[in-house]
Amino acid sequence: MIAGELLERTVTVGNQMGIHARVATMMVQTMQNYACKLTLMKDGVEVDARSVLGLLLLAASPGSEIVIRANGPDSREAIQEISRIIQNEEP
Amino acid sequence: MKSPNKAGDHKAPNLAKSAENDTNRLMKGVGVSGGIGIGQVAVIERLTTELCPKRVLQSEEVSEEIERFDMAVRVAADRLKKIKSHIGSDHPLDDHKYILDTHILLLQDRMFYEGTKGLIASERQNAEWAVSDMILKITSAFESIEDEYLKERARDIYFVGERVLRILMGFSSESKIHQLPPNSIIVAHDLSPADTAQIKRESVFGFAIDMGGRTSHTAIMARSLKIPAITGLENISRQVQTGDTMIIDGSTGIVIINPDPEMIFRYRQLQDVYRKYQQSLMAYGRLPAVTRDGSRSVRITANIELVDEMDIAVNHGCEGIGLFRTEYLFLGRGDLPSEEEQFDAYSRVLKHNAPNPVTIRTLDVGGDKIASQLNVSNETNPALGLRAIRLCLSRRDLFKTQLRAILRASTYGNCRLLIPMISCLTEIQSTKQVLEEVRRELFEEGKPYDSAMQLGILVEVPSAVAIADVLAKEVDFFSIGTNDLIQYSLAIDRVNEHVNYLYDTLHPAVLRLIRQIVNAAQARGIHVSMCGEMAGDPVNIPILLGLGIDELSMHALAIPMVKKLIRSISMEECREMTARAFEMSDAREIHTFLESWIRGRFPNDYFVDQS
Repeated sequence: MIAGELLERTVTVGNQMGIHARVATMMVQTMQNYACKLTLMKDGVEVDARSVLGLLLLAASPGSEIVIRANGPDSREAIQEISRIIQNEEP
Repeated sequence: MKSPNKAGDHKAPNLAKSAENDTNRLMKGVGVSGGIGIGQVAVIERLTTELCPKRVLQSEEVSEEIERFDMAVRVAADRLKKIKSHIGSDHPLDDHKYILDTHILLLQDRMFYEGTKGLIASERQNAEWAVSDMILKITSAFESIEDEYLKERARDIYFVGERVLRILMGFSSESKIHQLPPNSIIVAHDLSPADTAQIKRESVFGFAIDMGGRTSHTAIMARSLKIPAITGLENISRQVQTGDTMIIDGSTGIVIINPDPEMIFRYRQLQDVYRKYQQSLMAYGRLPAVTRDGSRSVRITANIELVDEMDIAVNHGCEGIGLFRTEYLFLGRGDLPSEEEQFDAYSRVLKHNAPNPVTIRTLDVGGDKIASQLNVSNETNPALGLRAIRLCLSRRDLFKTQLRAILRASTYGNCRLLIPMISCLTEIQSTKQVLEEVRRELFEEGKPYDSAMQLGILVEVPSAVAIADVLAKEVDFFSIGTNDLIQYSLAIDRVNEHVNYLYDTLHPAVLRLIRQIVNAAQARGIHVSMCGEMAGDPVNIPILLGLGIDELSMHALAIPMVKKLIRSISMEECREMTARAFEMSDAREIHTFLESWIRGRFPNDYFVDQS
């Protein structure tokens, strides 16, 4: 395991269509800039933020609560970026 | 509007006549992008997963097969990147380009990529078999999603998988969609976003698609490209062949296969007129809706459901929002929206429209439709059950949260509060009490709100019409919700196919109810608006003006048309027609009268439905 921080944060989905194709794509592309492992969890289902399919299958509707977990050297920055994307109301 | 009397349209050619022989064969789907297209069919074939070869591999073949799959994925990704690079920032699909990125990421997605490799390695399935199994597995996982939009994304993995299959099976990786002859009308079971992104706009005159869905990418992209499109045709891809001549009318959803020369000629004329007409109409959106004689001005507002619909409404010339449905904030989720979340949505719409008014309707659904924790037991007759204001008054917590959010947002613009489904005096009195409580709380917390915010009721239950004089003393405005008013007063469930033929907007009873509501409002000097579908259908406009409605709220797209009509008629004409309509005893008679009047008066306009 690479030394780094294990972080957890709960955020609310801001987008009116939920985590749809555009948002999921943006998240996976963002994760390409980071090395850490990052997952999203909703209703006990945990998915990898590097998987578009996983993110879509999470079926996160607007307003739902998402637990983000990040583990790795740049987890602090990654969790920041991903939270912003999830909370953003714009597509 | 689905009116009872549609026969004898003077503009749309007679379609029924020769439907039996091979020419002029008619199909009907859902028009999702307007306009008329006349051209030659180009059928776009899709591979089906059933067609792919299935073979169990020898163990020594496995690594080679994985290599072959890897290669196909790389070729597919390169191809998608190339398609994407052809869409410049000035391309009408620039906004939708991201979907090609989504497809590229799907190709590399662990679930698909590693999953397929896993099937090849452990199950010894050949690559084609493994890919098609993976597609089926993943698309079936999408089946259980409730959200319609997200559910449709199963199509995306299907398109991506199909692309890989084509490469594996040695087919050209592309359908021939990018090199179609001029005047093509694309017919397909379904179109992928990559297909749509590759078409040459100048050679494609229309889309006719088996599959359908409001959120399908084909529908969205066709509108962006301004190409007529019809979806939901079920099996048109098997009914026609490449080279067939076809007419599609994206406004009505009508397809005519192998039209005769006379039909083509008529549609050419229609197409030309329609094109010019649409262009000229938009100019009316910017003008006020004042009658020709200048004696009456009506406010034209829009009905919206999502905050995002505001732009299109403003573009079409709305002067405020006459009905902001708040249900979307509550639907399709497990919990209830927070005060902050609601405040954000309301204040954005108010800010955007200020100083024009925004009428926010409080939650108007049955308890069964929203958050499961409401524990509303199953009702045998939900339309007459615990819904709208009844639900809100029985769940004060939910109601107060919404009222707090609306009141707090009210300082951001010109806010009006609309209460749905009021059926008796007590309901509006209790509502006012709750509103007062919320105001007091906010005052004590030092949170600002607009103390002059207008309160109105949605008049849609017949009992409210009967006591409209009583209710008028309690509120600042009435809004007539015609959809439910008609349903409740005629005792017709409009989605019930056995009785919906009885659903008549122009039933004499409906007109009399509306007159009674307007009279009660006028006697108290309060504003009266209408926000049902009736308000956006040009046929009804002369009567609505004649009756004295102050504001008409409608679907954004209807606004320019309605404004043009109002600007072309005088109040005298409206009053005369209203008087005549009230002498008639039957909905059909009234409808025929209005329709023929409007056709005679505006022979060059499309105020009357073409279907």
